[in-house]
Amino acid sequence: MFSLPLLYTREVWWAGFIAHPYRLLGYVLATFVLLLGYNRYAGLRRDSTTIEVAIDSIEEMGLGIILGGLVLFLLGRFTFDMALMEIIGIVVVGAMTVAIGVSIGTAQLGASGKEDEGLGRTSAKNEINFAAQLVFALCGAFLFAANIAPTEEVVVIAIALSWAKLMGLAIFSLLIAFLILHYSDFKGASDFVRADHPVIILLGTIVTYAVALGSSALVLWFFGRFEGVALYTALAQTVVLGVPATLGASAGRLLLQ
Amino acid sequence: MKKTKKNWLEWVVFALGLILVSVTLGYLIYAGATMGHEAPSIEVRLGTPERRQFNFLVPVTVINHGDETAEGVRIEVVIDNGGASKERAELDVAFLPRHATREGWVTFEQDPGAAQLKARVLGYQRP
Repeated sequence: MFSLPLLYTREVWWAGFIAHPYRLLGYVLATFVLLLGYNRYAGLRRDSTTIEVAIDSIEEMGLGIILGGLVLFLLGRFTFDMALMEIIGIVVVGAMTVAIGVSIGTAQLGASGKEDEGLGRTSAKNEINFAAQLVFALCGAFLFAANIAPTEEVVVIAIALSWAKLMGLAIFSLLIAFLILHYSDFKGASDFVRADHPVIILLGTIVTYAVALGSSALVLWFFGRFEGVALYTALAQTVVLGVPATLGASAGRLLLQ
Repeated sequence: MKKTKKNWLEWVVFALGLILVSVTLGYLIYAGATMGHEAPSIEVRLGTPERRQFNFLVPVTVINHGDETAEGVRIEVVIDNGGASKERAELDVAFLPRHATREGWVTFEQDPGAAQLKARVLGYQRP
């Protein structure tokens, strides 16, 4: 649901066979760590042990590979007479975001109701600490960034934009982060996010944006967008992608729990 | 789904997931370890010309033996019948991944049958 657009994007298929196997490996491992983190704090069961978290993560990885592979095959993106490395590459790139999508989907849709309210509200909620917030923000940012990063448009925008507009985008991102997190004050969505002190709100906003920029840069690097460009262009791309990533990060902190 | 104990379906999914994930990781490590850094090295193979209603079709098979992916591969096929009335055709391959094979056709107006066909790769870029 969250990751289907990615499977319908040409650049994603290309990334599968352009990227070096080790880069793909890094992508898989990064996704796995993200899944571990996400499942630790918001997985299928809130009272999970470490082993259960690991089992869940592997389950979701497997589902991601199966579902991603199936959809890509039905879309005619690979045939079995292609080189094995090519097939694996195409499937892996698609499957990883599907795995995160599956993870978020099951946590959101599967475990609704009393579990969320019951266990979540009391002691467990207090343990949702800074690390958990960071993981949620990362998941959201990664999901949003990964859907947009592979497209050519990010580079096109980054090259064309003036310095002032880039600054504008950065400020706009910070504003998004601030508004979404601040809006949650009224909803009382989370005990952590509801900050009474302006310094904490400011800090939360900046941390959210930092997470968004970090994941943007990582995803852009994975899709080979930093190769052979000047530092300024790389930075510009990160800022351009930072807008949707910020949206993902701040929404993630609120919605994904 | 909400029970603390897993049911058999979840275990099956887990087992499948474990196999798929470890196979994928294993293969990626293996591929990364055995893969060199050889630039794309592209071989062009020509099939037997076939007569069609409007022209002559020559099947082309393009194989990348290198360890890197080539983008925008341009291939030229020339009928070489001793200098007179040469005809040339071109074929572009958008992406030719490492160790991958792509197939296509070039067309000619004159019968290439008797003459000699020559094919070569004009150029390609790093993606």
